[in-house]
Amino acid sequence: MWFTLSYAAWGISAALVLWMLFDWFKVDTTYSEEVLTSSREGELEAIAEEHRV
Amino acid sequence: MARYTPPVQSKSAQIFDIVFVVGAIFVALWLPLKLGLAGAAKAIDKIDSPTWETLGQNATMSGIWEKLGYTPETAHDIIQNRFHYVIDWPTLIVMAAVLIGYFVFLFRASDKEFRDVIAEKFDEKS
Amino acid sequence: MTSTPVSPSLTNTIHGDRVSLLRVLGPVHVWALGVGIVLVGEFTGWNFSADKGGALAALIVCWVVGLLYTSVAMIDSEVTSTVAAAGGQYAQAKHIVGPLMAFNVALFLVFAYTMLEVSDAILVGDLMVTVAGTEGLERHGFVVLTIAVLAWLNYRGVLMTLNFNFVITALAYLSILVLFFSVQPWSQGAVLQLGQLVTPENALPYGWIGVIAAFQFGIWYYLGIEGTTQAAEEVRSPSRSLPYGTMAGMITLLIAAAITWYVCASLLPWEYLGFTFFPLYDAARVTGSGALEFIMFWGTVLSAVASANGCINDAARAWFSLGRDRYLPSWFSAVHPKYRTPYRSILFLLPIALAFAFIADLNQAITFSILSGVLQYTFMSINIMMFRRKWPLGSIRRGYTHPFHPLPAIILFLLCCVTFFAIFLGFGTQLIAMVAFYFLISLWFHFYRYKFVRRGDQFTMPWPKPQGY
Repeated sequence: MWFTLSYAAWGISAALVLWMLFDWFKVDTTYSEEVLTSSREGELEAIAEEHRV
Repeated sequence: MARYTPPVQSKSAQIFDIVFVVGAIFVALWLPLKLGLAGAAKAIDKIDSPTWETLGQNATMSGIWEKLGYTPETAHDIIQNRFHYVIDWPTLIVMAAVLIGYFVFLFRASDKEFRDVIAEKFDEKS
Repeated sequence: MTSTPVSPSLTNTIHGDRVSLLRVLGPVHVWALGVGIVLVGEFTGWNFSADKGGALAALIVCWVVGLLYTSVAMIDSEVTSTVAAAGGQYAQAKHIVGPLMAFNVALFLVFAYTMLEVSDAILVGDLMVTVAGTEGLERHGFVVLTIAVLAWLNYRGVLMTLNFNFVITALAYLSILVLFFSVQPWSQGAVLQLGQLVTPENALPYGWIGVIAAFQFGIWYYLGIEGTTQAAEEVRSPSRSLPYGTMAGMITLLIAAAITWYVCASLLPWEYLGFTFFPLYDAARVTGSGALEFIMFWGTVLSAVASANGCINDAARAWFSLGRDRYLPSWFSAVHPKYRTPYRSILFLLPIALAFAFIADLNQAITFSILSGVLQYTFMSINIMMFRRKWPLGSIRRGYTHPFHPLPAIILFLLCCVTFFAIFLGFGTQLIAMVAFYFLISLWFHFYRYKFVRRGDQFTMPWPKPQGY
């Protein structure tokens, strides 16, 4: 029973990792790099200051 | 102060930087393991044909050891595996020097960089 | 900036060109993140302080290190309620000390959390193998499963991740309370045998130097509570929730630590306590109650999972922040447009955690984590002094101001020095190797990598110019 569980653990892990890799690929090909990396530290402050940029 | 424009880093150089950092992390964590430098400085003080008595366990203690499935023989290596605290002055001095040197470098270099940041951020505004 | 309500339309949608982390968390999540990471320390790790100094030493450090962490929580609450950004102490260091310090702090964070995550996963795997008692069964499958499932959860969104963490942390905490009340703590001698197990002869087997040495693993009672600050960019009102969540977490942990010591020291001989990886689970086994054993098994597993979960969350945010400031390639600073998580950082750290889960053992992973933690606390004590000097009270708006300054900072600094000495006793070479690594990577950053960083852009807080510049 424990060996079956152990193999199941490997299987589930592989499936989740593959799904993440797939999603990663999908996102990176759908959106531009500018959009993806557009987050800025202190977002609120940044918005407040935007008028003078 | 003029605004500093960083050079554009090529994709391959970026990948190289990542590989370098990851490599450094692995070396730092794995090398001590490999060289046997990691882990506790412990040694077993051997007692021949141990009993609970000679291992310094009273009746309550030995009862618990037995509940956990140990005999004096199997518990011997656990009980007698002791630290031997000796203050090795050269190592201590090296350690202190490395630590202090590291922090002094950190704060001095950071301060230098920080002055640039402040200068660019605030002098541009005014 | 104090508790300004953010309209969802501003930050929650992609405005054609912007995508950021989601502000969805409340104080409960902050508590779950902080306590979730730490609570596993009661189930394993703290007991090695008994190994280094005996049962009484473990109790002494439980209190003294509790003082250290109360200082940490107070200092951290003040700084982070003012510098509320993902990356926590990293962003603090960047605004108060300077870029190189920030780079190092981020590495401390990533190391401490990733190694803690590795320890947690190994713990789950080892416990499964112990319970199964099946010949030839390897822990690797369970270790990998723990890390993969939690990475997936983190990938899919922070709210779900921390809701989940709240539930399992609360259950694990409950299991400690159940154990405590079912061994009749009010009547020593019924189940508990403190007087028989901790005697004047064996209370401090190494004398006072053992107490000092025990500081190292005393850290484990509370290590990671400062991780609450990593959520700063995802909390709805950081200046209120972060101090609240952190302080509540600290109180919870002080209670848990005291209970844990009392139960374990009254049920297990100190030599065994210093040897086992599952002190609470073993304490339950000694009571002979199958139900308690079952409860503590699940308590241990849940606490380890909660901890690993919080660690993935925190390590990924620290790494993400490094990318956002170009300290590392900005590629890492991507936010998932749908789940709003730093997905590339999460994925990048996944194989690193897996690799160490295979090559390191529990003790070593814990020591790496403690080392990075103590380096970080040393930084924090100096950081708060500089913060008060560069921006005195009244010059900027603080969400929370900690009392008795500079006493907590001084206490923290002194206790860090003691802890370094404690690590030296028994783990000295490892400490030197570790600091040498940080030193070299700092040289690399200062003389090479920093040229790709935009200078003024790093300073994002709307503060006046610091005094003395």
